[in-house]
Amino acid sequence: MSHDVSRRVFVKAGALSLVSLGFDPLFLGRTAYAQRVPARGPGSKTLVCIFQRGAVDGLSMIVPYADEWYYRERRRIVVPRPGSAPDAALDLDRRFGLHPRLGALKPLFDAGQLAIVEAVGSPDPSRSHFDAQDFMETGTPGDRATRDGWLNRCLAHDREHRDTPFRGVAMGPQLPRALQGSAPALAIGDLQAFGIRAPEPARDRLTAAFEALWSGAETGIVASTAAESFEAIRQLRAANPAQYRPADGVAYPAGPLGHALLQVAQLVKADLGAEILFVDVGGWDTHVNQGNGANGQLATRLDDFGQALAAFARDLGERMADVVVLTMSEFGRTIRENGDAGTDHGHATAMFVLGGPVRGGRVLGRWPGLAPEQRFEGRDLAVTTDFRDLFGEVAARHLGVAQLEVLFPGYDLSADRFPGVLA
Amino acid sequence: MRKLLSPLLVALAACAHHGPADLAPLSLPPDSVVLPVADSAAAVHLLERFAFGARPGDIAHVEAVGIRGWLEEQLNPSRLDDAAGDSALRQYRLALRDPADLYADYAPGPPAARADSAARRHQMEGERRLAGAVMMSALARHIASRRQLLEVMTDFWTNHFNVFMAKGADRWLTADFVEHAIRPHALGRFEDLLVATATHPAMLVYLDNAQSVAPGSHPPGRPALAVMPRRGFAPMFPPLPAPPRAEAGLNENYARELMELHTLGVDGGYTQEDVIGVARILTGWGVAQPRRMGVGRYAFEFHAWAHDAGSKTVLGVEFPSGHGMDEGRKLLHLLAEHPATARHLSHQLCARFVADAPPDGCVDAAVAAWRRTGGDIRAVLVAIAASPDFWAPENRAAKFKAPLAFVASAVRALDGAPDTTARLVGALQQLGEPLFMHLTPDGYQDAAADWLNSGAILTRMNLALALASGRMPGVTVDLDRLAPVTSDYDALVRNVNAAVLGGQGSEHTLQVIRQQIGDLPNAVNARAMAVGLALGSPDFQRE
Repeated sequence: MSHDVSRRVFVKAGALSLVSLGFDPLFLGRTAYAQRVPARGPGSKTLVCIFQRGAVDGLSMIVPYADEWYYRERRRIVVPRPGSAPDAALDLDRRFGLHPRLGALKPLFDAGQLAIVEAVGSPDPSRSHFDAQDFMETGTPGDRATRDGWLNRCLAHDREHRDTPFRGVAMGPQLPRALQGSAPALAIGDLQAFGIRAPEPARDRLTAAFEALWSGAETGIVASTAAESFEAIRQLRAANPAQYRPADGVAYPAGPLGHALLQVAQLVKADLGAEILFVDVGGWDTHVNQGNGANGQLATRLDDFGQALAAFARDLGERMADVVVLTMSEFGRTIRENGDAGTDHGHATAMFVLGGPVRGGRVLGRWPGLAPEQRFEGRDLAVTTDFRDLFGEVAARHLGVAQLEVLFPGYDLSADRFPGVLA
Repeated sequence: MRKLLSPLLVALAACAHHGPADLAPLSLPPDSVVLPVADSAAAVHLLERFAFGARPGDIAHVEAVGIRGWLEEQLNPSRLDDAAGDSALRQYRLALRDPADLYADYAPGPPAARADSAARRHQMEGERRLAGAVMMSALARHIASRRQLLEVMTDFWTNHFNVFMAKGADRWLTADFVEHAIRPHALGRFEDLLVATATHPAMLVYLDNAQSVAPGSHPPGRPALAVMPRRGFAPMFPPLPAPPRAEAGLNENYARELMELHTLGVDGGYTQEDVIGVARILTGWGVAQPRRMGVGRYAFEFHAWAHDAGSKTVLGVEFPSGHGMDEGRKLLHLLAEHPATARHLSHQLCARFVADAPPDGCVDAAVAAWRRTGGDIRAVLVAIAASPDFWAPENRAAKFKAPLAFVASAVRALDGAPDTTARLVGALQQLGEPLFMHLTPDGYQDAAADWLNSGAILTRMNLALALASGRMPGVTVDLDRLAPVTSDYDALVRNVNAAVLGGQGSEHTLQVIRQQIGDLPNAVNARAMAVGLALGSPDFQRE
């Protein structure tokens, strides 16, 4: 059986998929830079993915204030209807309102740069953070055998790319599942600290020594990971992204997300060929004392989130024409608040798509309703947009991925399923 | 039934310290357990998996007493004098003070005090110092203790039953959790361990079970909470009927992770209905807290008023109503004894000890030992050590060290010791594995794919250089005993290979090190570079 699968995939997508589907990734090694083509140059597209780990409460980010069940099921954690209170939702389209602490995003929505997709999520019913995150990152809901991530397959699929180790970069100490796989990808906690830390001239000497040590010693993924590191060191030193300061008047919020997005902006401005950038942001698992529109832990997290995204968009300015920011979270939270003024693990949530190419100012996706008979398993917001429909649209229309079945094996995805964020 | 009640009651009743001394003596008769001969390569393999790497002298010791002899020592930790571990711990005894005292001394003051920036800084400084001591109380013993298998298993179970030190009262409770819930049972029976974690305040706080109460219940003497008036309600919408749920209620968080992560595994065959059933059974499993600073202690407390009085069903087993806390005891027994738990845990242990994707053979052997002994952790470890898969050539030096293993084994290889500060935990932070700071209950992952990436490799190289040149904050090393300064660079490379790489360095690695130091006129620099390159080599990242 596996023979059939591998042959079929091989014929369709070539040897890369064999590797990327995990048949022998460790020992075949990563796709080297062998199939390089000249740089595409300026104008190449960048996708920034932000993963809200812990399952963000989509019903608080985008308040369905016209649905009476929202106010019937939530009491201590509600966001009031637009205009009804100082900390009320900010109206978007007479159905939905933005959480007031996401106010920094409102001008972007009004300017048509920000689209929202409602009731998006996984067809898999798991309410496990870890399963659901894995499924969203591998792009194969329900299939735990997939080892590599959909963003990595995105990199592996597109062979016409610049000769750079920065095509896929995760800002942080670890590579997330979404970027793990056969295509090279980097994890960078801090751009300025990336490399061997020693005073000159010892630094060059030690860098060369370690490169010699690692390059000949290993095969497979260890060798290619090391090779990427040393190539990245060389290019970062030449480009020096830290020279790019935020645009005038732009202040990123203090905290990990603001710092990460500042560095993403520096990588983009440095023209290092970054195509897919990945940022994690945690703190969304609000089981207890979630808070309301004005105060509480969720409000604080959303404030940071909105400020960071808005700062990023302003910082990049005209360069946003080639950038799309896609936010995601493994699932949403229960419609009804729990006994601790929090919410438990639910199903569908809301996602943001921000950028120059976005046809924004709209809340997209079919709203399934919050009434008991409209819910998933009688309790949670139902999924009406498979996350692969949204991710697939961004990959196809922004990054130009032609074969979506490589990204989402076994899923029959065509343009009529796209939610329409980019067209 | 016999098995169900007695050990459980003992474990539940006692908050007293259970040392490893409580373990019955265990021997490994040669006719029942087949283990290979201890050549130096086998000794290195054993020490890399069943210990945090070799300290100087360890390899020779394994060769002298044999694999069987070494395992017997380690499986009976109370027989091993551990002055080294005790003395390491003494530096960080702050961490092991009573949680209520820590609360009294380190909790933020009243809001008025918090507004004062100097007081606030002082308070945050105290919290940082405490967090550092808690992390170091674990790391220092992993490095120094002679009871290495106990340390490895304490780490394994702490990660398996992950708590997050920055969540609420877990600031004061985490070290106590490791000391009193994990460590005493790390080589004991899984069911005892499970019960100890289920009843420890740190877990009850972390996964919110302390807040989970039967819908509609309220503490005696207090009325049900009034429904709060909703603020900002536009008058055009008439008030809707109150939701059927009371203001306080069920929280599924612990119930789900108990089955998904702690016992059955995600494929263990439970449903959402089972999750709700477990949450209802565990309503009332709560925490007694210090009433105010200096008065009262943190302790497990069963709140009968909060317990769901109805009957429940979990995994097809009936839990008739009215049995209070016994329902939870019965549930934990059911989960501990479940075949899915034996398989899930055996798989995880083999992933840690044998290979990231463990072969069926060792997993089956571990499951068989688990089932035969009712979850005796030592028996399972022996089965793994005796399985041919553990010793197979393809599984030697085949795992990529997790950051904790890298840091601990590097310091051990250089016979180093943490200083009195907590700065060594900074290394774990940089590598992405700060202890007790994993937010989500799955704990840190243990596979190469999770740790092998460009940034992390460079960080390891930097830490290796810092350690070798005596610049690593928070640790002191003495290279003179291991690799004396010499202008004979061939001898130097031989010494470094023996000390750092257990004599197993690859030809390529040794050659490159020799070449790289060849033109260095200063023999002290040459030694630092040789040791740094060895610690930062691919060879040292494998275990």
